[in-house]
Amino acid sequence: MLVNKKSFVRNSAMLLTAGMLFASCGNETPKDENVTAEDSTATETATVEVEDVSYSLPSPLQIASIFKKSGLKYKDGITSTLKDPSKYTTNLSKALNLGVYSADLSYTVLNKQNQEAMNYMKLCRQMADNLGMGSVFEQGNLSKRFEKNIGNEDSLAYIIAELQMVTDMYLDENDQQQVTSIVFAGAWIESMYVGSKVYEKGKDKSLNNKLAEQMTILGSIVNALKAQEKKDPAIGGLIADLQSVKAIYDELPSVKNRTEADDEADKEMTLTDEEVSTLTTKIEEIRTKFING
Amino acid sequence: MKKIFFSGLLGLIFIYGFTTIQATDNCDKKTLTNSCKKKMEPFKYDSQKFTKIMYQKKAQQLEIEVPVFIGEKYRLVFNTSSLPKPVMVNVYTKDKESKKREAIYSSKDLKAGENEMVFDVPRVRKLYIDYDVPADSTSQKLSGCVVMMVGYK
Repeated sequence: MLVNKKSFVRNSAMLLTAGMLFASCGNETPKDENVTAEDSTATETATVEVEDVSYSLPSPLQIASIFKKSGLKYKDGITSTLKDPSKYTTNLSKALNLGVYSADLSYTVLNKQNQEAMNYMKLCRQMADNLGMGSVFEQGNLSKRFEKNIGNEDSLAYIIAELQMVTDMYLDENDQQQVTSIVFAGAWIESMYVGSKVYEKGKDKSLNNKLAEQMTILGSIVNALKAQEKKDPAIGGLIADLQSVKAIYDELPSVKNRTEADDEADKEMTLTDEEVSTLTTKIEEIRTKFING
Repeated sequence: MKKIFFSGLLGLIFIYGFTTIQATDNCDKKTLTNSCKKKMEPFKYDSQKFTKIMYQKKAQQLEIEVPVFIGEKYRLVFNTSSLPKPVMVNVYTKDKESKKREAIYSSKDLKAGENEMVFDVPRVRKLYIDYDVPADSTSQKLSGCVVMMVGYK
C-alpha cells in the first residue's frame, strides 16, 4: 500500500511537471541557439499577430450626417427595399446588408422619416440576429429607447451612435473585427448611392464636393478589408468590387488633374456631371450585387 | 519527506500560476470603452479601435490610419491604463513613410501615471496615430491594449 502511495505521488508529480513543461513550451517562441540576433527577432515578430498599420473606419451615421449638412434632401423610394433578412445566407451578404440598412436607418432618422426609420431599425435588428449579435440591441434598452424617442432626431442620432459603440465592442470582444469593415463597406456603398441619386435631381455643388470627398476614404476601406481577409476569404470578392469603383474614380479627368498643392490647400474637388454619372453607374451595379446577396 | 515533496510541488505550481497570470493582459474592453465615452462628451461616438500591444525585445511602432472629413470637428480619446509599461501616443498628419509629416499631438508631456488623453483635432485631411512601444528585455511576455475612441460633432 505504501509502495502504491509512493508510486502514485511520484507519478502525479511527474505528470504535473511534464504538464507544466508542456504548457510553458506552448507559450514560448521556438528558439534556436544557433540563429543570429536578427533571425531571432524575425522569428518573434512573425509570431505576433499585430499589423504595423491598421485602419479605423467611420460610422454610417457620420457619413449620413456629412451628406445631410451638405444639403442632401430626402428623396422617397431610393433607399433599399425592405426584404426578408433570411434571404441572406452567407456571413458576407448578411454583414453587407446590415451595412446597407444601417445607412438607410441613418438617412431616414436624419430626415425625420419616422415610420421608415422604425422599419429600418427592426430590419437592422433582424439582420444582427442573423449574424448572432442581436443581443447588442438589448444593451441599455437601445431598441425601446429608439421607439420612445421616435420623432426626436437628435436623441435618435445619439441612440444610433450608442448602438454603433456596443456593436463595435461586441465584435471586438468576439474577434470579429472583419464584420465591422464589411458592414461599413455596405453602408458606404448605400450612402454613395443615395447621395448620387439625390445629386442627379438637384445637381447641388456642395453635394458634388461631398461625393468626391467620400471617394478619398475608399482606399482606407479596401486596406481595412485586406488586413482582415484571412479571417473570411469571401472578403476577396468584396475587395475586388470596391477596387473596381476606385479604378474608375482614379481615371476621372478631375481626379487625374488634381495636384498635391490642391490637396495641401484643402481645395474641394468638384466632379463634372458626366463623371458623377460614370461613378453612379458603377456604384449602382455594386449596390445591386450586394442587395441581391 | 512527503511534506517536503508536496511543499515543493505546491511552490512550483504557484510560481507557474504567477508567471501565467503575468503573461496575460488585463484588457477590460467594457470598462475602457465606458471610461473613454465619458471623456467624449459632447462629441458623438463614431468609432473605436483596440490595439493589442505585445512587448518585444525590439521597440515597435504601430500605426492607425483614421480618415476625417473637411468641416467636421473631431475628438480623440485614448486610454492606456491596461498597459504594463507606458506607450507613447503621437498623432500625425501623414503616415510614417512620409518625410513631410507633422506631429499635432504627443503624450510625451503627460505626467507619470496619467493614462487617459483627450485631443481635439484641428482641421486636417487625415490622421495617423502612432503608438511607440518600448522594448522589453525581460522574459515576462508583457502585453496589454490601448483603446482609441473617435468622436465628431
